[in-house]
Amino acid sequence: MYLNDFAYFAPKTSGEALNLAGRLGNKAKILAGGTDLLIMMKEKMLKPECLININDVKEFKGISYIPGKGAVIGAAAKISEIEHSALIKEKYFALHQAAGELGSVQVRTMATIGGNSCHASPAAETPPPLAALGASVIISSTAGEKELPVEKFILGNRKTALGEGEILTKFILPEPAPKSASRYAYIGLRDAMEIDAVNMAVNLVLEDDNRTIKDIKLVMGSVSPVPLVSAEIPGILVGRELNSELLEKAAQAASGEAKPINDIRASAEYRREMVAVLTRRVLQQAFNAASGLKEA
Amino acid sequence: MGNPNFTQVGRSVPRIDGPLKVKGEAIYTDDMVLPRMAYGKIKRSPYAHAIIKKIDYSKALALPGVLAVITGEDAPNKWGIVPQTANEVALAVGKVRFHNEGVAAVAAIDEETAEAAIDLIEVEYEPLPVLLDPYESIQRANEVKIHDDAPENILHVGDQLFGDPDKAFAECTYVLEKEFHTSYVNHAFLEPHTALASYDVQSGKLQLWSSTQVPHYLHRQLSIVMEMPMNKIRVTLPAIGGGFGGKGEASPADFCAALLSRKTGRPVKVTYERSEVFATNKGRHPCHIKMKIGLDKDGYIQAVDFDNTLDGGAYAGWGIVVMFYTASMIHLPYKVPNARARVRRVYTNKPTCGAMRGLGGVQPRYAMECMLDEMAEMMGISPYELKMKNAVESGYRSVSNLHVPHTEYKKCLQTAVEKSGYLEKHGKLPFGKGIGLAGGYYISGTAYTLYQAYKPHTTVLIRVDTEGGVTVHCAAADIGQGCNTVMAQMAAEALGIRYEDVHVVSGDTELGTFDLGSFASRLTYASGAAIKEAAAEINQKLKEVAAGMVGCRADQLEIKDGRFYSIFEPRKNIEWEKVVDVYTNTVGTLVGTGHFSPPRLKGIDLTRGKRVQGANIGHSPTFGFSCQIWEVDVDLETGKIRVERVTEAGDCGQAVNPMSVDGQVEGSIMFAMGQALYEEMKMDAQGKMINASLHDYKVPTAMELPEINTTIVDSYDPTAPFGVKESGEGPVQPTIPAITNAIYDAIGVRFTDLPITPEKVLQALREKKAR
Amino acid sequence: MKQLIELEINGRIYEIPVSPKDLLVDVIRKKVGLTGTKKGCGQGDCGACTVLIDGEPVLSCITLAIACQGKKITTIEGLVAEDGTLHPIQQSFVDHGAVQCGFCTPGMILTSKALLDKNPQPTETEIKRGIAGNICRCTGYKRIVEAISAAGDTISSGGVK
Repeated sequence: MYLNDFAYFAPKTSGEALNLAGRLGNKAKILAGGTDLLIMMKEKMLKPECLININDVKEFKGISYIPGKGAVIGAAAKISEIEHSALIKEKYFALHQAAGELGSVQVRTMATIGGNSCHASPAAETPPPLAALGASVIISSTAGEKELPVEKFILGNRKTALGEGEILTKFILPEPAPKSASRYAYIGLRDAMEIDAVNMAVNLVLEDDNRTIKDIKLVMGSVSPVPLVSAEIPGILVGRELNSELLEKAAQAASGEAKPINDIRASAEYRREMVAVLTRRVLQQAFNAASGLKEA
Repeated sequence: MGNPNFTQVGRSVPRIDGPLKVKGEAIYTDDMVLPRMAYGKIKRSPYAHAIIKKIDYSKALALPGVLAVITGEDAPNKWGIVPQTANEVALAVGKVRFHNEGVAAVAAIDEETAEAAIDLIEVEYEPLPVLLDPYESIQRANEVKIHDDAPENILHVGDQLFGDPDKAFAECTYVLEKEFHTSYVNHAFLEPHTALASYDVQSGKLQLWSSTQVPHYLHRQLSIVMEMPMNKIRVTLPAIGGGFGGKGEASPADFCAALLSRKTGRPVKVTYERSEVFATNKGRHPCHIKMKIGLDKDGYIQAVDFDNTLDGGAYAGWGIVVMFYTASMIHLPYKVPNARARVRRVYTNKPTCGAMRGLGGVQPRYAMECMLDEMAEMMGISPYELKMKNAVESGYRSVSNLHVPHTEYKKCLQTAVEKSGYLEKHGKLPFGKGIGLAGGYYISGTAYTLYQAYKPHTTVLIRVDTEGGVTVHCAAADIGQGCNTVMAQMAAEALGIRYEDVHVVSGDTELGTFDLGSFASRLTYASGAAIKEAAAEINQKLKEVAAGMVGCRADQLEIKDGRFYSIFEPRKNIEWEKVVDVYTNTVGTLVGTGHFSPPRLKGIDLTRGKRVQGANIGHSPTFGFSCQIWEVDVDLETGKIRVERVTEAGDCGQAVNPMSVDGQVEGSIMFAMGQALYEEMKMDAQGKMINASLHDYKVPTAMELPEINTTIVDSYDPTAPFGVKESGEGPVQPTIPAITNAIYDAIGVRFTDLPITPEKVLQALREKKAR
Repeated sequence: MKQLIELEINGRIYEIPVSPKDLLVDVIRKKVGLTGTKKGCGQGDCGACTVLIDGEPVLSCITLAIACQGKKITTIEGLVAEDGTLHPIQQSFVDHGAVQCGFCTPGMILTSKALLDKNPQPTETEIKRGIAGNICRCTGYKRIVEAISAAGDTISSGGVK
């Protein structure tokens, strides 16, 4: 399993990287972690003429946070960095969970958060929590920058909104609302090195009374070509207190919205059922966390 | 534990090759580089069943760096691990019978060129209908024949009858009949098949380094395929990265490397990709079993009826042996006075099935242990009670003439039950939690030479002199199970010296004497017997010299802790090395030879007057036994099964190296758990494997490791050399039924097909609720 | 056309001609000749090819050699002491029976080293999670987990790194 011959570039600055991307256009692929790209190249599914290694570009790395504003995560930040970030764990817990579940230690050391979204596998771990947390992506090119919500960036199975010459460079995460909590859950056969049969993340915000739901966003992965934002759940839960009846209603609604397929990992029917199970679980967990109750 | 007089056997010494391996200095076949070495790659069929109309490799040959191309026509001689059914070829001849079967091979100066050359070989196929299910194969045999000489697409059938099962069933109080379906699984050893061949043009000699478990069979098959005499071929084993039965035959890598080497006059190395390992397969046969068991009013087994359709894949391989093993395996570990077995091994267009750890035992064990668990419930007694009742005892002879000289099976059951608290938990845990028990056994020391020669199965040569110390020569294969260490321990014990002073030269057909191979859990017993005999010869000769040196009679000497002692006057003693010195100086190098052959036994089907030998099992001189108790926690919403704890108790006779035994047991537990819960080779409608990677073929990771408590039950088989019995394949036997019984205890559903996935669990819970 | 790059492996600088497409595992095994790093699947699924890059475990079969310039690569050969003494992790694997066929061992030991370097006394769960990317088919993992735990204790008390 050998790769095709390609021209290799390792820019050191953002400007260099964007210039290269602009100049080479669709002849080039971005090499970040390589955990998806190189495997596809080995299997001859991709034969890019050029690879641009962005791991040395400082501007694309790192996690920064401004209180009140939110966090900025470089697209080339490693999943392991996100997993171990105290800040992410404190403020964006669902992302912390998803990062910790991805692959194995080695994969987390190599893979990047940008790559996870750009590869755009429907089963990707980080897009659902990013979307639930209201994250947006910054797409850069020599022409400037564009900002898009994550769920508008991922357009389909292995399809993103990246145009020729563009690089995904940052994720912007808004400051979490007070009395909010996020949670992530997944279904997989083994407890490591899994491609999730279903995953999902939820971000839940409570009113000052600590009981009424002010805002909620639930995003499902692996049950549609793109991260699926539940349209019905806000209608069911906003302005209400969480009780077992509503929990069930929400679970069924999410289950109904899901568009799962049969594949070698699971059947559509099982996935649909698991959406309901996971929805109940993450909603309860997020609610408990937001209201300061003991973790379920 | 075992024999307290042993000083070397019974020691948990770290493996001889441990340090080399942790340093990364052990040499595996792909690590080897020879001068002028070229690389070979195999072109594989995109069709699961097709006629080869034309192969044009002119473009490949023209690619710079390509040295040679071969096709099936270059070596059409059929080979096969079972000579009577040999129907495999190095590369397909005339037609392909499974997806990714090799049709051509290339040697090039580097791997990349070889890979590129493969793409340039043009093959024209005429696709044929694909048969993926054994029942379909039988049904459609008139229109689609996979092999011309198998008109019904059946390799072989077996029909065995002992006693009068029909009469017995009629008189039984409890009768249960069920179907079981086992899965299509692969060994997934970490080191892919690799072969490095070096044909020397001047001498006409071929040396092959290969990742194989069976140097001898490989040696033989090479002779057949290459049309070369065996004494011009040498097979050498570097370190082997696991086998589990999957390297228990030759592989096309071996033949292609050898053929290409001869053609190019250079060494050629062929290393498989993981997808090629799956295509080669030779994994466990999926079995479709119908079993019927009858108990009398007191719970004693009176009759077993066993019907098994084995899905064998495209070629014969080990198939006929596996088939007969499944039939034979029903006769133990319980007393079965009447039995019938009807078995058939069917061809399908899938990568061939073969020998996989615990071959032929795992599938019937699954059925029997689960059925007895159910019948205990029918009777209102504990499965433990039912199994204890029916368990065999030392000296038992089955109706199929299997002789069990020694067993501690009951002790295994008792120990596991006590340590796990089975009786306190079974049937009493909250819904979703469960505990399950199963027993098992395996052959030890047997396996006839498949080409039916009656020569000894293992010969050991022990060489003793001043210069080399003690060297044990035997062409046995250490595939990671640790036989080199165990042989050194047994030799040291027999010679009265320390294990650390014994060198073992193994895995080379030129440097070592004949050994049949590492399979059927035969090696410890077989090499132990041969070592004893060789050592006896040496001891005798050394004693004669030592007697003169200390002043007593040779037959009044014993050898212990590296010294010769007069039994009656222990103060008359002398160091072992000094005796060897004198012997070497006065006579020369001392060599002792030992042979082992398993006893020849044949079962007689009295009803038919036919001789039934229970395949290789009939010759098994002894058997290992064990019991496993599994505790599971089922997530009732997702169906996911979490294994909490496994309690095991095993009878391996005298454990030569207890740490190694524990390692085999723990490894077996995780290995078999994979088949029970996660693993399955999945094929699409065209016969292509769609999860041919370790990403989607899910072997257990460390995250799946439960609490495992193992016990080596105090045991010593007096009929066995050093009291030893097997522990490499027995421990996989109870796993799948124990898990299945635990799941039943947890959620009241008995699963009869594998793997038991969360989806199936949820589906079953739903159906149960609906009823 | 190959370009000459410098790779620091086990503290030594190697000058190696590579094409951009050359994978680190192949360069280590075939060009540098350190065959301790193994290839089990070539697809990043088994962990046998694990090496440490700047102390972190990485799958060398899906890493470009050219992308490793300026980094410190550690292969299994780099663990043994100058005088040939085994690293405590290596010794612990031998002592605990955590090695059978040995093919997963180099990768497993390096992953363990990275784990213990960060977390000298990990819990059993942390160990399992830490080695979940290294498949072993022989040992059933139990002795590997025990070996790592014991090595952690040895290292912590002895202060050896």
